[in-house]
Amino acid sequence: MKKVININFQGRVVPIEETAYDLLKQYTDSLRNYFAAEEGRDEIINDIESRIGELFQERIKNGATCITDEDVNVIINNMGRPKDFADADETTGNSYTTGTNPDPLFSQSGYVQGKKLYRDANNKILGGVCSGIAAYFNIEPIIVRLVFIFSGIGFFAYILLWAFVPSSDSVQNGVRKRLYRNPDSKIIAGVCSGIASYFNINVWIPRIMFLIPFISIFFRWGHFGPLSFPNFLGFSFSPGTVLIYIILWLVIPEASTTSEKLEMKGEKVDLNSIKNSVKEEMKDVKQRVSVMGKEAKEFGKSFGSEVGQAAKRTRSSFGDIIVFIVKAFGYFIIGCVVLAIVAALFGIAIAAIGLFPLKDYLLTDGWQTVLAWGSLLFFIGVPVIGIITWLIRRLARIKSKSHLMRYSFLALWLLGIFCFISLIYSVGQDFKSGNTIKEENITMVNPGIKKLEVAASGKTRYYGEHGWLHFAPFANFDEDTSYVNNVRIRIVQSSTDSFTVTMVKMCSGRTRKFADTLAAKMNYTVQQVDSLLYIDRGISITPEDKFRNQHVVVTIAVPIGKMININKTLGWNHWEEFNGPWGDHNWDNSWDKDEMGGWENHYGDDLIMKQDGLYTMNGMKADRNWNTDENENRNDDRDRNDGSTPVIKDTTGGYRYDQTQNAIDSLKLLKEKQVQKVRDSLKKAKEQIDKSLEKLEETKPAKVEAFSPISNQYDFVLDI
Amino acid sequence: MNIDNTASQMRKGVLEFCILSVIKLGEAYPSDIIDKMKAANLNILEGTLYPLLTRLKNAEFLTYRWVESNSGPPRKYFSLTEKGAAFYKELESTWEELSNAVETIIGENGLTTNTTSTNQ
Repeated sequence: MKKVININFQGRVVPIEETAYDLLKQYTDSLRNYFAAEEGRDEIINDIESRIGELFQERIKNGATCITDEDVNVIINNMGRPKDFADADETTGNSYTTGTNPDPLFSQSGYVQGKKLYRDANNKILGGVCSGIAAYFNIEPIIVRLVFIFSGIGFFAYILLWAFVPSSDSVQNGVRKRLYRNPDSKIIAGVCSGIASYFNINVWIPRIMFLIPFISIFFRWGHFGPLSFPNFLGFSFSPGTVLIYIILWLVIPEASTTSEKLEMKGEKVDLNSIKNSVKEEMKDVKQRVSVMGKEAKEFGKSFGSEVGQAAKRTRSSFGDIIVFIVKAFGYFIIGCVVLAIVAALFGIAIAAIGLFPLKDYLLTDGWQTVLAWGSLLFFIGVPVIGIITWLIRRLARIKSKSHLMRYSFLALWLLGIFCFISLIYSVGQDFKSGNTIKEENITMVNPGIKKLEVAASGKTRYYGEHGWLHFAPFANFDEDTSYVNNVRIRIVQSSTDSFTVTMVKMCSGRTRKFADTLAAKMNYTVQQVDSLLYIDRGISITPEDKFRNQHVVVTIAVPIGKMININKTLGWNHWEEFNGPWGDHNWDNSWDKDEMGGWENHYGDDLIMKQDGLYTMNGMKADRNWNTDENENRNDDRDRNDGSTPVIKDTTGGYRYDQTQNAIDSLKLLKEKQVQKVRDSLKKAKEQIDKSLEKLEETKPAKVEAFSPISNQYDFVLDI
Repeated sequence: MNIDNTASQMRKGVLEFCILSVIKLGEAYPSDIIDKMKAANLNILEGTLYPLLTRLKNAEFLTYRWVESNSGPPRKYFSLTEKGAAFYKELESTWEELSNAVETIIGENGLTTNTTSTNQ
């Protein structure tokens, strides 16, 4: 049973079977493609069509009820397929066609007018992608080949183009094989069955390939660490194939009409055609190699010659070259921008997925989690898929039927932006306020010892940075606990003759009250055992507590003349300072002034506290910050304190130590200088007065006496 | 080198000449041309004829007029222009020279002149 339709064909009404119509349409399309470069294309096709129409009419006159597949096939065989014409064109065609380039599509410069990218089946090395591009842009294939070889993305792009750009062969054969989604035997969207019919393989082969990751994930689940992200792009992690499937779904059109279905299957593959194509291939190999040699030679020649000559050879005028250069430049810039966007989005996606295990520590359940998923999927996922889809569609020249897809992409992305902004705001709110700062004194078992050794406590003694991604300050985390590395150790001079240790716990929260409770819950211990002071290396946080920038500052006050040793177990750690809300507290800002810095370089060394800072055992200063600049700053401070009055020791925290000696010395010097100055000036004045007195006495008898007091006075003023 | 290719090239080389000589006899409809060639045992696909005719027409060697047919829409009938006639003359003399030369060479070789004559 076959459906018969009536068509108006070249002024004749022809009843024709639907399948026969599809065959006919495909045939005329292939003609149109073939003659795309021809000047009188429409005329030729019109002539051929009207002849076919005549033949149809004859059939019907002879008693046929309608045109069948067989009729169409007979007529097509009589008329000849484009492949058959190709031979005829070889010699009757244009004189500049060379023997090495028998394909009219690529040998005629007119081909460029067609402006459709094909893989050049005649000048191919691998898949003909490069020579196809070269023919499209009217440039030497070797240039394109070199670009592909030396650019990093070349391989991937090549495979994509190979798959999506039709071969010029397909045009000649009359049946263009194209990748379609097969709606007839679909499970989700027909992607797999479409691929299967494109490559002529069993439909289950692509299906299994897409399914393998899903199957393997059950086996891999146990090993599936939170940071095994690089597998994402491979096939070992299901999202990779899901992503590929979605992209293919969007990119590949569905074969909805019969002719599209025919295209999907392409030419019938039987033993004969395989044999023929193998024979052809074998024949071509030799030729191809020699062509390559010639091409290389030609390329060398043309490169040596002037641009104008090359332009003549490729039959394009100077203007065309400029247009080409401008176009190429434009495409290059667009390409760079698109690539940058894709790279950035991929970067964000990778970071986001890497951060994903931290989600429980950062986000509260409910809205924040929903928003996080929303931003991940829509804000990052949608543009990635969209750009890839667009690129492939653009390269394969698949036209979208409607704007629906574009708008839905845009809408989803806007939703993603909304999610992302709300998430940032919401999380930001959670870090808004800091807790009330209070110092905790650690009770020392034995505060009077000679030497205190600071060591990492046992429970967090060893944890490595595992995984390839490390998020400071998260040193380590699993499902229940995370260690945050926000510990800062300060060493200051003690005002008493015993060690004192204080600790400040800090964190953020939505409200100050919340931050306070969280700070109280913070699990961080400092403990003295004999001469050892055990401190935790990290703050352990549970997902219930959440990460709210927990931060601990341990202050160790060392009395003068006693020793401290920072154990090497602490050596490799990062002692990070965090800019949190507590940064607003003034007392925090002024810390660094009198603090011991630089001891980080002396892990494992005994350091001794002296009047003016920490010293190593061989008498070197342990503090790297104590240079002349620092001294000047100190003097400035002193000036503010009214200079001569000695600074009172800060007895509460022991942050400050005695520096008055220095200041007094410098002041003494200054005072002496000033006294000297005054003395000098007085001496001078005295000499002057003596001189003028002598003068006066000498001139006394000759000059008029009345003037003398005035001149005397005058002289005096001048001298002063 | 490939034998099929050479043979088809030989045939195609004279195709334009043959078409022109058919049309020279009088106005011709493309399928008439095909029929005549077939009758002379020169097989040609119709699909190759139309582009050839169009090219010749575009080169102003041929012209055509629409002739009403008793069945269906009007048909195109081709005839030679003056320029076409001149071109034909040129081809004719070339052909004569060529065929004479070929005949002579083949005759010297003592090969079958039979096949060549039937092909033409």
